[in-house]
Amino acid sequence: MLRRDFFKHAALIAGSASVGSTAADADTTTHPIDNRKVADIAFPQKRPLITYSDRPPLLETPREIFANPITPNDLFFVRWHMPMIPTYINSHYFSIKIDGEVEKPLKISVDSLKRDFEPVEITSVLQCGGNSRSAFHPTPGGIQWGPGAMGCAKWKGARLKDVLAKAGLGKNASWIKFHGLEKPVYTKTDGFVRALELDKLHDTIIIAYEMNGEALPYLNGFPVRLILPGFYSDSWVKMLSNITVTDTKPKLHFMDHAYRVPDNACECETPDNLAAKTKPIEEMNVNSLIGYPTSGTRVKQGAKLIVRGVAFDGGHGIAKVEISTDGGTNWQKATLDDGIQGPYAYRSFRHTLKPAQTGELTIMTRATNTKGEIQPFAKDVKWNRGGYKYNGIDEVTVEVVS
Amino acid sequence: MKKVTVLALMTAILFISVNAEEKKVEVQKGIKMPYMAFSMKQGKGMYSTKGKCNMCHSWGYVLNQGAQSKKFWRKKVIKMITVFQAPIKNEDIDEVVEYLYANYGNGKEN
Repeated sequence: MLRRDFFKHAALIAGSASVGSTAADADTTTHPIDNRKVADIAFPQKRPLITYSDRPPLLETPREIFANPITPNDLFFVRWHMPMIPTYINSHYFSIKIDGEVEKPLKISVDSLKRDFEPVEITSVLQCGGNSRSAFHPTPGGIQWGPGAMGCAKWKGARLKDVLAKAGLGKNASWIKFHGLEKPVYTKTDGFVRALELDKLHDTIIIAYEMNGEALPYLNGFPVRLILPGFYSDSWVKMLSNITVTDTKPKLHFMDHAYRVPDNACECETPDNLAAKTKPIEEMNVNSLIGYPTSGTRVKQGAKLIVRGVAFDGGHGIAKVEISTDGGTNWQKATLDDGIQGPYAYRSFRHTLKPAQTGELTIMTRATNTKGEIQPFAKDVKWNRGGYKYNGIDEVTVEVVS
Repeated sequence: MKKVTVLALMTAILFISVNAEEKKVEVQKGIKMPYMAFSMKQGKGMYSTKGKCNMCHSWGYVLNQGAQSKKFWRKKVIKMITVFQAPIKNEDIDEVVEYLYANYGNGKEN
């Protein structure tokens, strides 16, 4: 993308009508639309965020928040599928119903979840599969997210495995369906229901009742939501109210038609030759984002500039983050934090630069995980019709002044 | 004695105001979502499209799909009808698709 186009993109706001159209003819992947402005109105329990829709609420976290390894609750992104979301829940009466292929159907209250099950804490990234979708061209359908449809929080809850054990899995149990309280307008419609194959159930999947030490904000799924560390957020069902164990794979719109990528090695296709077979998006790929500086920041020539950001993957762990200031020819290792947040969390990085020349300076970051998987250049990220799993090398452009 | 009366009175006032506060919370019943007006481009079929889409979701959900082909918008409208039961009559589909494509199109039929 030409530099002037970059800044044209930067000026866009989510409410603008021309979102995502500027480079539509290029048919290549670019950087996602960056630096959109936050809305002038705040949603409940949130500070003003980049707002794509109020019904259902679709809110994106601004880039500068990713200078820190934990995303505060009031800045955490929001994505609902259905327009009818309860605005009042009495957590003393709320319960999760567990039924289907179980020995003993149960209703578990939030109090019981806290009292009768071993509490587990896990710090994990929650990222929309369509994060940075605006990078793809031709423009795939779906919200044209910038890079902030993600966050990292410390979740506390009970293991899904323990809850299911209390109900006792039936001998034919093979899939688990999850349903929250969000509802479509027309009741005949399938709600937002997700399912997990029993084989994929593991110890880190929890039903969380706390986020960063507080009750979950309403818009992030109060009073409880499912947490699947390492996986994109499509199955992190909010306001989780029903868990149904089934003997066969359930037929569900949001499993069979959404959140899928081509089932081939590159997970890619072209608009003229769509892949016949698709698979769920599931595990997150390696990614990194610069939180500071943001594009357009003016910095002083010869003064220390501390670049900060976060890196993560699907739970294998980050091996290194590198910085380039020459367009990706030479790379220098950034300093990583001690990794105390665990393999599913953001690994924060920092790197000190001293800009030598005045003018524009582009800073790029590239993460590599412990499996050796490395972020590709933005232009090399392969297209898919859903615009999922973008993980191009990040960049920001600052202005160095004398 | 006087001091005690004043104290009792103050306690009573405090108690009443706390009760009033609790009642107010109960009446409000939870959170209030803001309404945001996403502007629509003026064009033939705007009001008809607005009514049909806004029945279930904000206009922001539409315009933030990016500029799309005519085929894309037609598929979306049909998905809204078949998957989400949007009450859009067959004879009205073209008008909605034409409006979306004319105002939020990418210039491509397919």
